[in-house]
This record gives sequence, structure tokens and C-alpha cells, in this order.
Amino acid sequence: MNPLLAQFLAESSDLLAQVDEGLLQLERDPGDPELINEVFRAAHTFKGSSGLFDFPELTRLTHAAEDLLDAVRSGRLALDSGMTDSLLAAFDLIRGWLVHVTTHERLPAGAGNDTAALIIMLRAPLGGETTVAHPLTTSPAAMTDTAPAWLAGFDSDWLAETATWLATTSATMRFVRYEPDADCYFRAEDPLHLVRQVPAVERLGITEPELWPAAEDYDEYVCLLSFVLATRAADGELDYLFRYVPDQVQMVELDGAAIRRHLDGASEAPAPEAPGAEHDPELVADACDLLRAAQRSLTVRDAVEGPQLTAVVRSVTAAATALGQPLDLAGADGAGVRAAVQRLLDETAEEPGPPAESAPPGASGAGATERADDPGGQVGSRILKVDQEKIDHMMELVGELNVAKNGLTFLADAAEEEFGSRVLSRRIKDQYAGLHRIAEELQAAVMDVRMLPLSVAFSRFPRLVRDLSRRLGKSIELVTDGEDTMADKDVIEALGDPLVHLVRNSLDHGIESADERGAAGKEPRARLTLAAVADGDAVIVEVSDDGRGVDPDRVRRKAYEKGLISEEDLASLSDSDAVDLVFRPGFSTVDQISDLSGRGVGMDAVRASVEKLGGTVTMRSQLGLGTSTRLRLPLSMAVTQVMIVSVAGQRFGIPVDLVVETVRVPAAEMSRVLHRDVVVLRGEVVPVVDLAAALEMPRAAATGSDRAILVVNVHGQRAGLLVDQFHREVDVILKPMDGLLGYAGEFSGTALLGDGLVLLVLNMKEVLGLAARAA
Amino acid sequence: MPLELHETTATLTGVVTVDDVEPLATWLRTTPKARVNLRGCNHMHTGAFQALLRFRPKVTAAPTDAFLAVLVLPLLTVSRGTTSRPGSRSP
Repeated sequence: MNPLLAQFLAESSDLLAQVDEGLLQLERDPGDPELINEVFRAAHTFKGSSGLFDFPELTRLTHAAEDLLDAVRSGRLALDSGMTDSLLAAFDLIRGWLVHVTTHERLPAGAGNDTAALIIMLRAPLGGETTVAHPLTTSPAAMTDTAPAWLAGFDSDWLAETATWLATTSATMRFVRYEPDADCYFRAEDPLHLVRQVPAVERLGITEPELWPAAEDYDEYVCLLSFVLATRAADGELDYLFRYVPDQVQMVELDGAAIRRHLDGASEAPAPEAPGAEHDPELVADACDLLRAAQRSLTVRDAVEGPQLTAVVRSVTAAATALGQPLDLAGADGAGVRAAVQRLLDETAEEPGPPAESAPPGASGAGATERADDPGGQVGSRILKVDQEKIDHMMELVGELNVAKNGLTFLADAAEEEFGSRVLSRRIKDQYAGLHRIAEELQAAVMDVRMLPLSVAFSRFPRLVRDLSRRLGKSIELVTDGEDTMADKDVIEALGDPLVHLVRNSLDHGIESADERGAAGKEPRARLTLAAVADGDAVIVEVSDDGRGVDPDRVRRKAYEKGLISEEDLASLSDSDAVDLVFRPGFSTVDQISDLSGRGVGMDAVRASVEKLGGTVTMRSQLGLGTSTRLRLPLSMAVTQVMIVSVAGQRFGIPVDLVVETVRVPAAEMSRVLHRDVVVLRGEVVPVVDLAAALEMPRAAATGSDRAILVVNVHGQRAGLLVDQFHREVDVILKPMDGLLGYAGEFSGTALLGDGLVLLVLNMKEVLGLAARAA
Repeated sequence: MPLELHETTATLTGVVTVDDVEPLATWLRTTPKARVNLRGCNHMHTGAFQALLRFRPKVTAAPTDAFLAVLVLPLLTVSRGTTSRPGSRSP
């Protein structure tokens, strides 16, 4: 499904609930302006968003509901229970449609017919536009409509000519009357502009007010005009153009004879064009509903007067017209109106119409079959909006559950060792296994909630690339791939800055200007690709371009000039190692610093922030063909696997990702090279760092003949850590060091172990740095 | 600037938007024997059109825009006597 539509459906269920609740509350507390406003706003939002999709009936119906609510809001009408019923029916109908839309992505077939009657009901209290022409799409103008009176808006000579022409050619022409609302200018409508868009207009006429207001009273922002136009445009074209103002437009299609009859004058009796004349049963039922509603509101309160009475009179008049029995109730008081209503109802009941107390008539049929309490359907998929903090809190609780669960293994050991009960120990371990499974699933479920698609991180790039490429005068096509790859929200959020750095670097340094590209025989339009792919429990994000690539020689030379590498390195570094130099702090090959990048803080910042996430960055480049930078990030940062070692009686955690191997080396095989302890492993010399010394802890006298050495790999460099003892690996939830502990850079965080011990997790890069300075 | 207001003549050029309606109406209100030049006008907002209808200034130059020239201008230049035909036009 179109994501926009999915979002609309998800929002709609909220809006519908809001409208329902608001309307019901309004019935209890009719005068509350805040409530009315709320309902109006919800209906308005609904109409606005529905306009994005091809649901004209939906837009028209919400529009009618919105108009009614607007009248109520402005105090022109008092909301009575009849109106509330109509409004509720309208929104029930909409709910039914949306259920249909959720599964079929279009409105049900009969939507148009259902709408027409409901719109009439909604409009009735607004002044009884019961005859509101043809609902445009449902009843296309019949071939030979009767000429309406407004044809007089054209001059008669032209009409006569046209009639003759049409009669001779047996052709027809469409005539449109367009009466814009008086306040349409405030809704940014420009009726003349709309008229201008009508294709094949033969003739335009206007109806000016019979009496223009005096110059000083003339309000230029009130629309006083209405338009009549004759056009050869097709029905569909007119429907489309006037789709936002269908209630202000009447359309007829006339042939020569009809116009002639109109010209021959008023001798012909006005056509019985009130739709009620043929006593459409639905319409009769609607009218009866209206009358009964009016009757109720008249009976409930004895003294109905002022605007409320006017409103009731209006709706009664409208209903009467629909029943083909026009009434003139002007000046009637409450009692008079009530009598008239009673009479009308009696007369209607005598006819073989629907029984007076029939269930909701066909008009609201769809609404009736799918009421709010009908469990059969659902609008959109159920989506909960949850505060991010709640999810974070859940994650913390899962972490604590893990810690508590891990405590059971200690308890099992204690049961066996301290209390000598092997059976109890076994049973605790069984319990532990069950709990472990549930805790793992729970953790996976919470992690899943936190997952976001990479498109969230990618979304800002189309704009960024467009803006930057314009500024740099380069033509660049951005290609994104794998946006639906999921990763933890923390990872996605933290990915933003490194990606911006990389994309900027590509745009600024990697991609050449169009001329340069032409000279190199490449397409003038460069290509920048952002791709994401899941790789086990990691996600790989690649930023690649087809630009000039990195020149290893130039990088080597620059690095040497800046004192980043020695003279030997200059000669010995392989090309791929040379490319890697761009990640060194303080490196920049560009001589001229632009405002985009080139201050030499880019790439090392990228590497630092990605490593902080527990990921890696690598760059591959082919001179002249392009560069690709690959970020490998863990899918989730919430849980870290650490290996526990103890040093000088205290335990520390080391991220398992960094651990290469654990070895025990006979003390005699340790040797010293250049004042450093080293050990030779499979022919490779590995420097050994005494972790206790590096952390400034009291050095315990080495006992026994073996030394426990943990070999780690940091930035491709191996180092051995001299520790006292190895323990197991555990999953921990790493809490960053902040507050009072924030200064301790050698630790990346703390974690709570199952036996209640606080484990400090080492930041290996810093620890090795400390060791190097101490040596 | 779509609207140039001089002592007795106003020139409408390009697209006259709803923002120009108020100054135009004010000018028409205070300018007897006003004249308007529509030659360069491509579109006028309904509000401006309505103001011209209300005050009926003399149109000194016809618009070159086809829609305005063919369909709208005739409505503005109907002789003053027939400005309002009570009853005959409204249903």
C-alpha cells in the first residue's frame, strides 16, 4: 500500500474516534465552543487529507459535514440531535468506507449513492439546499435537461443563434452555473481563475448583484458575482475542475430545442425539477427523519425562538420541498411550525412509503451495517504511538531481568557447594533454562520494537545532495538502496553524522566537476550510492561514488609531509594501507579548505564515532574509478557481549569483538624488546601490556609458571593484555559512564552482573594509549 | 508590480493577485472618471474583476490575453446603461 495512504488510514482511525467522542459529548453539553472547535478541526483535517487521494465522495461528504460543523461553530446553527445523527451517520459511513479502503485500496462501489442522500441531510439545516443540483459524478447531466432559469445570464441574441446552430447540427452544449461563496476569496479561491481553466468555453456570462452596494460600503473581499458559462467541455473535465466546489455548481446539457423553449419564454410552466417530485423513497425517508428531528426539538423545548427557530424552519421547509409540498413558514412561531410538521408527517405516512419508525433508511445503509460497535472491520492496521522513553524503560527492565536471571546460576552453585544439595542445584538450573528462554524472547521482542528502517537515516540525503551539488556546480545522481534494512534506533540516530561526513566528502573531494569527468571519459552526471544491507547481527552501510578515487601516492606524500608516517612507511606502505591513512587524525589532502569539508577533521571523526557504536569503517578506492566507504555496525547497541577477566583481584569486561584469542604462555617465553614485554605467537611478535600497570592498580606478584594473555586487535594492531585469570563471556547492557565517572576515558561503561557486581568495561583504545604513554 | 496606479489611469500588468484587490478598489473608489489599461494583464483575480464591474472604469487598452480579451472584456465594456438588468439575470 502507498505509505501515504497507510498513514492516512492510521490517522483516520484517531480522527474518527475524536469526532465520535466529540459529537457524543456535544450532545450532553451542546454549547461548549471548545468541543465544537475540536470536532470541527478533526473533520477539517480529515477533509484536507482525504483530498490527497482519489476519493471524491469522501472529500464531498466530509466537506458537507465540515460546513455544517462550521455553521455550528460560528453560532449560526444550534446543534440538535437530528444534526448529530446525520453527522454520526456520515462518519459511520466513512468508517465503513475506510474499512473497505484498508483491504481494497478504493472506495466501495456504491459510495456515490450513499453520499448523495447524506449530503442532502447534512446540508438541509444549512438552508435546505435539498435541490443541490446533480451530485456531479453520480448523475451525469441528462442529454436534454430542461433549460434552467439562469440561462437568462446569457444574452438572448447569442442564445437564439446557438439554439439554431445546435438544432441544425443535433448537437448539445453544456451550461454551467457557478455561484462562488461570498467568502471564497478568504479560502484562496479565485473563481475567475477556475473559469479560465474550463476548456472550450463558448460564452461567459456573469450575474451581478441587482443592486451594487454604495461605493463607501463596497467590500472588495466579498464575492458578489456568479458565473454562467457555455462550454463544449466534457462532463469529466467539468467534474474535475469543479471538484472542490461541487455544491456551488450546477450543470445542464441542453440541445437546441431546450434552449428554444427557454427563449420562448415563461409560457412553459417551470419544470417540476424538485427531485422530491418523483418521491424517491430514500429522499422521502430522509425528509421524514428531518421532520421528526425537527418535531423532537420543537417538543422538547416549548419556547423555541430566535436563530434556533429559524434553523428548524429552514430544515422543515427543505424537507417539505423534498416531499413535493413546498411550505411557506416565514414568520410562523413554534406552535405553527409544529403543526405544519405534524401535518406533513401524517400525509407522508399515509403514502405507501417506508413505515415511520423504520430502521435507518437506505441512505445510511452502509453506515448501518458497519456501525462503530461492529467488530467486523478495522481502519488501517492498529498502530500504537508509544513514547520512546517507555520503550527505553522496557529495555532497561529487560536488562535487569537478565541480571536477575543470571543470579540463578550463582544460586545453583551455592545450593550445591554450600548446602550440598545437588538435586536442588539441578532444579534451579532447569528453572533458569526456562526463564532464560523467555527473557531472550522478551529481549528480542523489545529490540524489534526499537528497530527502524535505514530510510530514516537516508531521508535527509536527497535534499543535502541536491543543495550541495548545486552549490558545487556538479551534477549528481543519488541512488539509495536497501532503505528498508532495519537497525536499532540508537544505531540509526548515531549513523546520521558519520554519513553526512562521508557524503560531503564524496561530493566535495571524490566527485569531479562535469568538465573533468568529460575529460576522463565518464558520464557528466556522477553517481553517489547509499546502500544498506543486513549482515548477520550487523548492518553494512556503504557510501560509494564513481569519482576520481583516492590517489595512494598523494596520500602517502601528504601523510609524510604532515608527519603522520615515517620515511620508511612512505616507501613500504601498501596502496590499501595508504588509503586507510585518510582516517588518521589531522589528515587532509585538499590544499584549499572549502566550507564543506577539508579541514582534516572529517574522516577520523567518522572512524571515531563509528567505533563508539562498536562498528568499523573501511575504505576501498580505485584511482580514477571511485571510492567506497563501508561502515559495519552492530544491529543493536543495547546488548554488548563482553569477556570477563580479572586483574589484581578485580574483574573487568572487554568487548568480545576485539578479542582475538586467549593464550597461556610459560613465563620463560616472555621476553623484552625495546623496554617492552613481548611474546612471540606463531612467529609474530605481539607486545604485551600489563593491564594492572596500565590501570595503575597494585601489581600482584606473578605466581605460577604460566602467564594468561588476552590478545586483542585494535585498529588492525595486535596487543596482548597480561591478566590474572579469564572468566566467561556474558551479555550485558552497557550503561555509559557519565556524571562523576565521566572523566574516566579508559572505561566505555558499566554493567551489572548477575551476582550484583558492577563490571567496568574497558575502552581498549584508551587503555592501549595509556599503556603506550606509561612505557 | 502588477498594479500601477496613477492619477486617472491604472495599469494592470501580469497576474493581478488577491493582494492587489484592495489597493485597486480603494483607487477606483476615490478616482472619478478612472481609466484602466489592461494590455499587459494576463490574469486578474475575481476580486479585481468584481471591483472593475462595480466601478466601471473606462478600459483604454484591451488585454492581449485571449481569455480576458474574448470572454471577460465584453462583460466590462457593456454600455453603462445596461449595467444592471434587475430580475432578468438572477433566477
